[in-house]
Amino acid sequence: MVKYLLKRILILIPVILAISVLLFTIGKLMPGDPVRAMLPPTTALRPEQYQLAYDAMYRRLGLDKGVVEQYFRWFGNLIRYRDLGYSSIANRPVADAIKEPLKNTLMLNVFVNFFYLLIALPLGIKMAVKRGSIYDTGIQVASIATYSIPSFFMGLSLIYIFAITFPLLPAGGMPNTFLLGAWTWDSFKAWARHLTLPVAALTLMSLASALRYVRNAMIDALSQDYIRTARSKGLGEKVVIYSHALRNAMIPISTVIVMTLFSLFAGATVTESIFAYNGIGRLLLRAVTGRDTALITSLTLFFAVINIIAVLAADIIYGLVDPRIKLE
Amino acid sequence: MSDNNRGAADSGSGSSSNGSSSSNGSNSGGSSTTIKASRSFVGMFKRLFVRDKDDVNILEEEALRTPGKTILLNLIHNKLAILGFCGFLAIVLFCFIGSLMFPINLTYNEYTHSSLRPSRNYLKYPAVLNDKNIIKIVSGISFSIALDEQGDLYIWGTEPNIYLPNVSDLIMSIPEAVKNAKIVDIEAGSRHVICIDDEGNFYGWGHYGHNQTKFPLEIAHFYEPPSGTAIEKMAAMGVWSAILGSDGYVELWGSMQASQSFIDLLRHKNIIDFAAGDNNIVLLYKDGTLGVSGLVGTEYYTQIPSQLQDGSHNIVSVVSTNRNVLALDDEGGLHLWGSAEYGLNKLPDISGRPIHIEAGYKNFVVVTDDGSIIVWGSNELGQLDVPDNLLGVAKVFVDYYQFYAMDENGKIIGSWGNKGYIFGSDHLGRDIFTRLMYGGRISLTVGLIAVIISTFIAILIGLPAGYFGGCVDQFFMRLADVFSAIPFLPIVVVLNFIIGHNISSVGRVYLISVVLGLLGWMSLARLIRAQLLLEREKDFVLAARSLGIKERFIMIRHILPNVVNFVIVSVTLNYASYMLTEAALSFLGFGVREPEASWGNMLTSAQETAVIQFYWWRWVIPALFVVAAAFSVNLMGDALREAMDPKSSER
Repeated sequence: MVKYLLKRILILIPVILAISVLLFTIGKLMPGDPVRAMLPPTTALRPEQYQLAYDAMYRRLGLDKGVVEQYFRWFGNLIRYRDLGYSSIANRPVADAIKEPLKNTLMLNVFVNFFYLLIALPLGIKMAVKRGSIYDTGIQVASIATYSIPSFFMGLSLIYIFAITFPLLPAGGMPNTFLLGAWTWDSFKAWARHLTLPVAALTLMSLASALRYVRNAMIDALSQDYIRTARSKGLGEKVVIYSHALRNAMIPISTVIVMTLFSLFAGATVTESIFAYNGIGRLLLRAVTGRDTALITSLTLFFAVINIIAVLAADIIYGLVDPRIKLE
Repeated sequence: MSDNNRGAADSGSGSSSNGSSSSNGSNSGGSSTTIKASRSFVGMFKRLFVRDKDDVNILEEEALRTPGKTILLNLIHNKLAILGFCGFLAIVLFCFIGSLMFPINLTYNEYTHSSLRPSRNYLKYPAVLNDKNIIKIVSGISFSIALDEQGDLYIWGTEPNIYLPNVSDLIMSIPEAVKNAKIVDIEAGSRHVICIDDEGNFYGWGHYGHNQTKFPLEIAHFYEPPSGTAIEKMAAMGVWSAILGSDGYVELWGSMQASQSFIDLLRHKNIIDFAAGDNNIVLLYKDGTLGVSGLVGTEYYTQIPSQLQDGSHNIVSVVSTNRNVLALDDEGGLHLWGSAEYGLNKLPDISGRPIHIEAGYKNFVVVTDDGSIIVWGSNELGQLDVPDNLLGVAKVFVDYYQFYAMDENGKIIGSWGNKGYIFGSDHLGRDIFTRLMYGGRISLTVGLIAVIISTFIAILIGLPAGYFGGCVDQFFMRLADVFSAIPFLPIVVVLNFIIGHNISSVGRVYLISVVLGLLGWMSLARLIRAQLLLEREKDFVLAARSLGIKERFIMIRHILPNVVNFVIVSVTLNYASYMLTEAALSFLGFGVREPEASWGNMLTSAQETAVIQFYWWRWVIPALFVVAAAFSVNLMGDALREAMDPKSSER
């Protein structure tokens, strides 16, 4: 087990290095002058002053060195000081700029994951048990349909229906009272109301694949020989489904749950932007439109690392929960 | 991030899991018993719709049924697959055949037609008008109003305004005061109407963002009935209105920009007639000479031909478009000058003697004494498609793009021009219907190119990784890991920056598809590899190997056919997800750029709240096409997966 883990982690090192080189290259190729982004606007200084400041910043950022040296300097700073650079659109260090959106995205995703598991588990189980029925086919078609809806259309439709045609909920944003930490009943209500539509949009969109996954896992489990054995022993259908089949179906499902736990940190660019939700996905979009190289590189590196860890964790969990599998 | 890659990620996990079958188990027995019938063409159709109960020897059937046939049979008996197939076929035909039938000019725009709601009733006048004597028909951009001898108004067409406080009221609901009055003259601007009744009272309604419907207080008292100056003629343009009083003065109000530039010209007295474009005005004086004025940019318009300046021609009627003027003199001579746009400055051959001239928005109409109609100018909205069988034409009423031919008695005998936009128009006044066809062509093509590229790469990487294993496998799979980590948006922005300057908007379309393909092969490659790891341990590979067949040959000829099922399913599902990704990218403004159309970039304007709120057709309709296309492809993919799953065909 320990040997397997070590091997997996060792393999990850070149992967992360390659990703960092790639992201550094992308950052270098990004349009925009990183020095300019760091300086006050040209109008604030006299031309010769500006040139002096520009040269100083140019050297400070190490742009006078070779590209390879720049890369090692960037990566070294990242590892040693956890220095992600300076965000030009937020006007502060990237580490600071990420904090608040990350917190918001995490909160959003906790609700999304909670709700979609709450819906997908019982619904998926029922679909598998009633496999082939109208109920099963109907939900399958519906899930294919939601799966075919672009995220922005889902978001816009929800806004159009629940915020414009029937003005029940706010179309987006988040009130400041929550950010200031003033928790009263009213601010809680406002907070919940602002969260409803984005959570609903993201839940609906994740539901389709989750349903399919739960259903397939459950069908697999139900077609095993031990289910036939359990039935022939005369066990009740409830016991067969919930005790024998579900426990085994939970093996593949649990790996998915672990992966979603990690994907809590990944923001949904389009949905967050549409609902003007100050999350990490919207931050990425703002960074891309604002040509904020440091922020883009940091965010994408962050997403990449999380992705890798999630896959690794899922593999490990799979080995832990399934006694039949031995990790080698 | 995550919602862009949603499709690809799911199709990976979905296709790899097995046991996803549902419906076919029960009827495959019945369907496979009609092999004899299927040998003939008619029999094939018979088998499609009628279930034959003949029983065939099981052994005979087994010998006849190839895997391909089984899959096809499974598919044909899956109603959802047929639905998806038909839906997709319909969309493909709509886009590819439709765009051949309706040629598009990508750079065309008509700002006055911006954001018109879906309708085809611009020319559908009420039947009751057949019994009335119409003295005048005026049209705005999407509506027309007829005035009959009794002074009643009849309105048809579509509301061009959205209700906004302090900007507009609805055109289609005629105010009560106007309904009760006996109207004697009426004029329509693009989105507003002005009229006067027999007592000289002035009314206006519609869009009033520039106060163009309200008689300004400082001049209103000159014209106040009963003692005030009588109003001889009115004109209403996009953002301003004008009247000519019986004292020979023209008064003009509405948009300040327009009225200020004509102000010196309007000091002239002795005006007996005038005509107006959006940014210019032409005045006819009592002595039969002309005066013109216009905003900067309409200069040619102001250059009156020399033969009209010496007073040798006595002008009786004058009409104008935005950049051209047509004048008719008392001898039936026509004088035309202005911009060469739409060929409006060239007189066509006219056989008879002109008796009546009219100007549309980009067209001139001449009616001759033998009752024929000559129209020239732009044909973008069917302005030149005059009906053939028009007899006894006395007059043509035209405003903007609606043409109505009238007979002596004031009956409409024919109408042509802009019928309306079936799916509405966008912010530049372009027809959403035709743009949907072109946009669909691009969206469907982008998905296709992307899926071909990504599948090719996935096979190229997944096959050796799975077959050889070991170091090759490690290298390729870690490469896939690295590629999975590349974020989509930044790569597109960088590529746009590096090569975007040098390529046309068409080239950019290909750029997007290549990027989609290059960043989308990972999940399929992993899937192929995983499947190959299973396949290569099987006996037939061992058999091939023991026969001494080359490794490369085993991989391609023996193993690849066994994973091709997964590839086909994945191609279908990925195709749908690429279309969705293209739509999302273009929606965010990083995909296909204007003037090139794609379903995604038609939705870009949906980022504005006003568009979501008021102009639903501008975002709902293109989005529904994206959804319909993705849905039908996904249905097909899902059905394919079920049809190919060996577990679903168990008896």
